Amino acid sequence: MSFDLKINGKQVSVDADPQTPLLWVLRDHLAMTGTKYGCGVNQCGACTVTIDGVAARSCSIPAAQATGRSITTIEGLSPDRTHAVQRAWAELDVPQCGYCQSGQMMAAVSLLARNPKPSDADIDQAMNNICRCGTYLRVRAAIHRASQLI
Amino acid sequence: MTKHEINFQTNAASEMNRRSFVVGVTAVSGGMMIGVGASTEALADNTKSYPGEQTAGGAEFTNHIMITPDNKVIIRGTKVELGNGVMTSIAMMTTEELACDWSTVSAEYVLPNRDVQEKGVYSRSGGLAYFAGRSTSKAMMEQMMQAGASARERLRTAAAQAWKVPVAEVKAENSVLSHAASNRKATYGEMAQAAAAVKLDKEPALKPRSEWTVIGKTSRKRLNLPLILDGSAKYGIDIQVPGMLYATVRQVPVHGGKLKSYNFDAIKAMPGVKAVVVIDPSEKRPGLPAGVTAPFPIESTTGGPQAAVAVIADHFWQAKVALDVLPVEWDSGEGAKWTNTAKYYDEIMAATKDPKANTLRSIGDVDTALKDGQKIQGEFLTPFNDHFVMEPLNGTALISNDRAELWFPTQHPQQAMYVTADETGLPLDKIHVNATYIGVGCGRRVYGDDVRVVVAIAKKMPGTPIKVIFTREETTRQGRYRDLAAASYTAVLGPDGMPKAVDVGQSATRAIGRNLSDTPYAQNIPNFRVRSKLFVSNILVGPFRGPVYTSNLFFLETMINQLAENAKADPVEYRRKLLANYADPGWVKVLDEVAQKANWGQKLPNGTAQGFAMGNWAMAVTKEGAPVPQTGSTVAAIVTVEVSRRGAISIPRVDVAMDLGTIMNEEGVRAQMEGAVIMGLSSGLLEEINISNGAVVEGNLDTYRLLRQNDALLPQEIHVHFGGNTNHERFSEAGEPPMGPTPAAFAHAYYRATGKWLTRQPLMKYASA
Repeated sequence: MSFDLKINGKQVSVDADPQTPLLWVLRDHLAMTGTKYGCGVNQCGACTVTIDGVAARSCSIPAAQATGRSITTIEGLSPDRTHAVQRAWAELDVPQCGYCQSGQMMAAVSLLARNPKPSDADIDQAMNNICRCGTYLRVRAAIHRASQLI
Repeated sequence: MTKHEINFQTNAASEMNRRSFVVGVTAVSGGMMIGVGASTEALADNTKSYPGEQTAGGAEFTNHIMITPDNKVIIRGTKVELGNGVMTSIAMMTTEELACDWSTVSAEYVLPNRDVQEKGVYSRSGGLAYFAGRSTSKAMMEQMMQAGASARERLRTAAAQAWKVPVAEVKAENSVLSHAASNRKATYGEMAQAAAAVKLDKEPALKPRSEWTVIGKTSRKRLNLPLILDGSAKYGIDIQVPGMLYATVRQVPVHGGKLKSYNFDAIKAMPGVKAVVVIDPSEKRPGLPAGVTAPFPIESTTGGPQAAVAVIADHFWQAKVALDVLPVEWDSGEGAKWTNTAKYYDEIMAATKDPKANTLRSIGDVDTALKDGQKIQGEFLTPFNDHFVMEPLNGTALISNDRAELWFPTQHPQQAMYVTADETGLPLDKIHVNATYIGVGCGRRVYGDDVRVVVAIAKKMPGTPIKVIFTREETTRQGRYRDLAAASYTAVLGPDGMPKAVDVGQSATRAIGRNLSDTPYAQNIPNFRVRSKLFVSNILVGPFRGPVYTSNLFFLETMINQLAENAKADPVEYRRKLLANYADPGWVKVLDEVAQKANWGQKLPNGTAQGFAMGNWAMAVTKEGAPVPQTGSTVAAIVTVEVSRRGAISIPRVDVAMDLGTIMNEEGVRAQMEGAVIMGLSSGLLEEINISNGAVVEGNLDTYRLLRQNDALLPQEIHVHFGGNTNHERFSEAGEPPMGPTPAAFAHAYYRATGKWLTRQPLMKYASA
């Protein structure tokens, strides 16, 4: 079945079962592999995108539910890695293996959009994404840094 | 309000805005202190989206170095990037000699097929030294640096020939060749074609260490950082090949069992479904050619497949939905006799007391010495843990009758080639493994059992590329878990409170004594014995970052802490005495460094305490089982624990110091230490795999608990200290050693705060009991 999605400012037409999670429409149907599969049950955040600017876990959203909304993925943050969050992540050398970092950055983007100067307690509340490599303290520092760069 | 810090060292060469950031952040978040690390060089980009993908069209000097006409330097190494920065370190060591502009550098992998074609020239140092993530061996370093030096000399020679000037007058620096007297310049790219054809009369000697300007002198940001930042880095799970189909797999829930039946008719009409494939472990594998041995064993517990059924469909989601409803019946087999986790624990604890266990080390006469004096005893256990690799297991394979090509997130591309050969019967030179980026390895992706499953499925549909994605649940339940291990000890102290006799029995799913039987403490313990018994069960185990080391360190260090506390002695001072006269100064050096930096011994408020632990990973051992000084990486940690009046537990601070000899890339080492502290605490405090009737219970994050950003147990501050480093000439490993000490240090601090010893992991399970 065909339906439209607005992703990173562009309208795309998708031919898939509308119940397919948005994550798998992005990855398999649209070849946008920056958004990752980590758990599939809304528990790890690797699949985080923003929908109308708010963090959303794409593994748990049927794609058709996102029609008519504005979806942003890691690929759409900037054309050249200059989004404040990307720059802060670079300055602080945050990633190790890097697999969770798209989701971390998208969750951070959403946090900073509604709270430009988050406290550590705000970060605790918003940043529940798993990082197995243990980059949590650098993620936290990078959010503080990004809030200065915005 | 909690405050969180990481302690970097500020480098005097930091950019202006970075310095003002340090000040600004302090002001903004009230007490948060960040100094930023020294990676000031312009960001270099890897140009390809995964390291197995090869740049074409340049001039190749050796398989390790290619330079393109537009002046890009491609460095190809055999080490796999795990997030440990090793791909970048390899490029750094090469550029030490090559003298190129770092911003032109891009790193790729040597393809293992090439190693076959060139008669193993890239894997001379043995299976683990090449083609696997982990340490940078001296032999490999020298090969890379020699490649850099040779390329540099050939470039100079080519310029000299082109300009008709003596080679000695040609300078090579920062990717520019120049002749001052005639004011001529050329980039490496412009000379590359000519230079690659130059044959040197004599290969150049390498620079002495004293002249190094890159290694240990600069920090570089990882080359794949830009690709991570914009989502373009390709992990195995991201690979797409034209004509590809997707599959997902279910293996027998009780390891070692069999497939009884399944009903394809029930799902064959579901959207996108193409086929069901069976993996039968009893099917005779073609096997490796005669006389050929894989780097790692290929057997059912490691590389051989479990019984499985897989659904192949047009899209992953279609395959998953269909497999979830496919009627399947299993025959659990022998494994079902393991009714619950407690049965494993009871049996392994009993095994630690087996007097017929294998003696790993024996000094003096423990049996006699133990007869005299008051006995102190203890028992310890560390459970099975899952790697929880962030990127679920997966791989893509295209198999035909004369060729196999894989795109795989493997830690060991060479092993992957051998497993494929064993599964298909194809000769090695017809097998092509394109290694991708990896979303966490930590030992899970070394043996190639995942390769086996993917190839076993793909070979059933020859000529069609198949991407197999294991669901998270399947990845968790078909782990190769951290070894289950236990230990029990009996000790008697002398009148001075120091140990007079120590008898340790250990049992583990791999009977290894590292960081227990080989401890340097033993040279100051007159009677010391360690025995080890292999524990056998159906559960599949494998190397888990710091294998058996993390368990043995927990046992040894908690025992020493218990003995010291029993003797009412300071546990840090106790260890200084145990390490007296040990020929490796790094042990006392890291101990002193961390004790000083953490202000060990300070008065702390009620409910707050510090704990200490130390150890060494990758230490060499004599044939008597004694430690070899100045080998491996020695690490010490102090964990500060706070227990509130109401029993809430948090970790205000962790201090960690390490001696790995010479540091190649300080930023890389720092990141590994921070990360391993967190992963080690997650493992030791929270993680446990449970078994019910032989099958793993946990499947996903709803039941398997990992340390998170918002966990009260996440250390608020991690202080990494380099003052314990001896600068010995070895370059020992950074990623695994810091996994060891923090759980034992936590348990020690918890005892000092509450009077209660935590002797079984996951520690938090027993802390609130």
